[in-house]
Amino acid sequence: MNGPHIFRDFDNAIRTLKDEVLLMASLTRQNLERAMRSLLDRDIELSRVVIGDDSDVDDLEIRVDQTGMEILVRHHPVASDLRLVISSMKISTCLERISDHAVNIAKRSKKICRGPELPDVALVEPLYVMADNLLRDAMISFTDQNVALAEGLKARDKELDRLHKTLIASLSERLEHPEGKSESLLHLIFVIRSLERVGDLAVNIGEDAVFLGSAQDIRHATKKASKASESDGSE
Amino acid sequence: MIAFCDGIVTIGQSCGVMVHAMVIPAPLRPMTAMAPMTDSVIQTPATTAVAVEDVDFCYGSSRVLKNVNLAIEANKVTAFIGPSGCGKSTLLRCLNRMNDEIPGARITKGRICLRGEDIYGLRVDVVKLRSEVGMVFQKSNVFPRSIFENVAYGLQVRGERNAAVIRQRVEEALRQSALWDEVKDRLHESGLSLSGGQQQRLCIARAIAVKPNVVLMDEPCSALDPIATLKVEELLWELRSSYTFIVVTHSMQQASRISDRTAFFYMGEVVEYDLTSKMFTNPREKRTEEYISGRFG
Repeated sequence: MNGPHIFRDFDNAIRTLKDEVLLMASLTRQNLERAMRSLLDRDIELSRVVIGDDSDVDDLEIRVDQTGMEILVRHHPVASDLRLVISSMKISTCLERISDHAVNIAKRSKKICRGPELPDVALVEPLYVMADNLLRDAMISFTDQNVALAEGLKARDKELDRLHKTLIASLSERLEHPEGKSESLLHLIFVIRSLERVGDLAVNIGEDAVFLGSAQDIRHATKKASKASESDGSE
Repeated sequence: MIAFCDGIVTIGQSCGVMVHAMVIPAPLRPMTAMAPMTDSVIQTPATTAVAVEDVDFCYGSSRVLKNVNLAIEANKVTAFIGPSGCGKSTLLRCLNRMNDEIPGARITKGRICLRGEDIYGLRVDVVKLRSEVGMVFQKSNVFPRSIFENVAYGLQVRGERNAAVIRQRVEEALRQSALWDEVKDRLHESGLSLSGGQQQRLCIARAIAVKPNVVLMDEPCSALDPIATLKVEELLWELRSSYTFIVVTHSMQQASRISDRTAFFYMGEVVEYDLTSKMFTNPREKRTEEYISGRFG
């Protein structure tokens, strides 16, 4: 952890930036949780709240960018300060997208709730728990600069992907005998798709946390490694 | 010519030690064909222009450089950064032996090699060394002579008599210093009539007119406005393929903009020396990070 800056306003600006990102993460997780609860509890009113609250996250994304740009222009940060500004701005974009997925889930939830009871929605809860845990740990890895925790997110996302595939296969099978619930089942497939994307975005946040903590860019590391082994093999 | 040289000597005397580095010219020769200052050449990597090896330096009993090791790459810009009193300017002045003029100031350990040759060797011609390692100072020190004479001075003192050669080299140096278009129609006006930024570029033109191997710059832009600063920085960037620049600066932004490598000095030691891009994004040492990010110093 860095000591205090000689120019105290710089520390204030950095604190503001961190607070904005954390508030954004908190609101995003809340939106996601409410969207899922509206689906599981068939609560249309709650889904309306999620759709309405998304604008708060949008506003925060703009504020994070403004604060970050102001720090870049006024203070010319370097080293870990620079990485903090860059990663905060990138993470805020991921959080905004996650909140958009929460809105998508809420919209699908409204439509599902207007149809007949759909017991299959319970299948989605474990996927949500996995996605939310990934998001929670991605944010912890960012705030605590916990590189090891962040690096573990990718493997955990693969588990989420496996469950996602299983659920898609199961619901596709159900669609062959929809019993008048085909529209709701299709909406549920989109909910599952959104949760899978939340997992991916949490991994992206983890990559930014690794960059913040260790200055390593681990994006597309698997592709790079396989390309390298391909070229090694061709020699 | 004699009167002109006499005048410059007077100016030189009034400037003290600075003048040696600035105005004693080197024989014009391609860098690759440079003859050694003595015959005791030490092998260093071809890309190393200046090698500083285990150097201690003292002002009297005060040890101001401690075990300094640096391999300055040829044809690159190297920035020395660090808080005041950390030893960066002292080391810069060691590189062309300007500290020799200060009573009690001496290297007590280690050696400094210019292209493999120990510059503190017994048989080193210091005048020749100072012509091969030029210097530009914080405050431009234009001579009260014409723009042309300021640039031509080094060539003339070196003994160049061919007016066409002098004219050609003056134009070349002024072009390299991005000053030619601004002064070509008033070459015989006083150098002091130029703006601060132009005067500093004139000093750079004078330093490179004699084709030194290394150009030392001690806070060359600290007295300049932002536009003049950028012009000098652009100049360094353009000229680095031809010369090795070592720049002392207190501006982190300047160091990050213009240099290929940066050395961070603290209390007489080199804390970290690395690629500038690495140093300003992911420094290895905590002290470096704290200094460049404004947390101590």
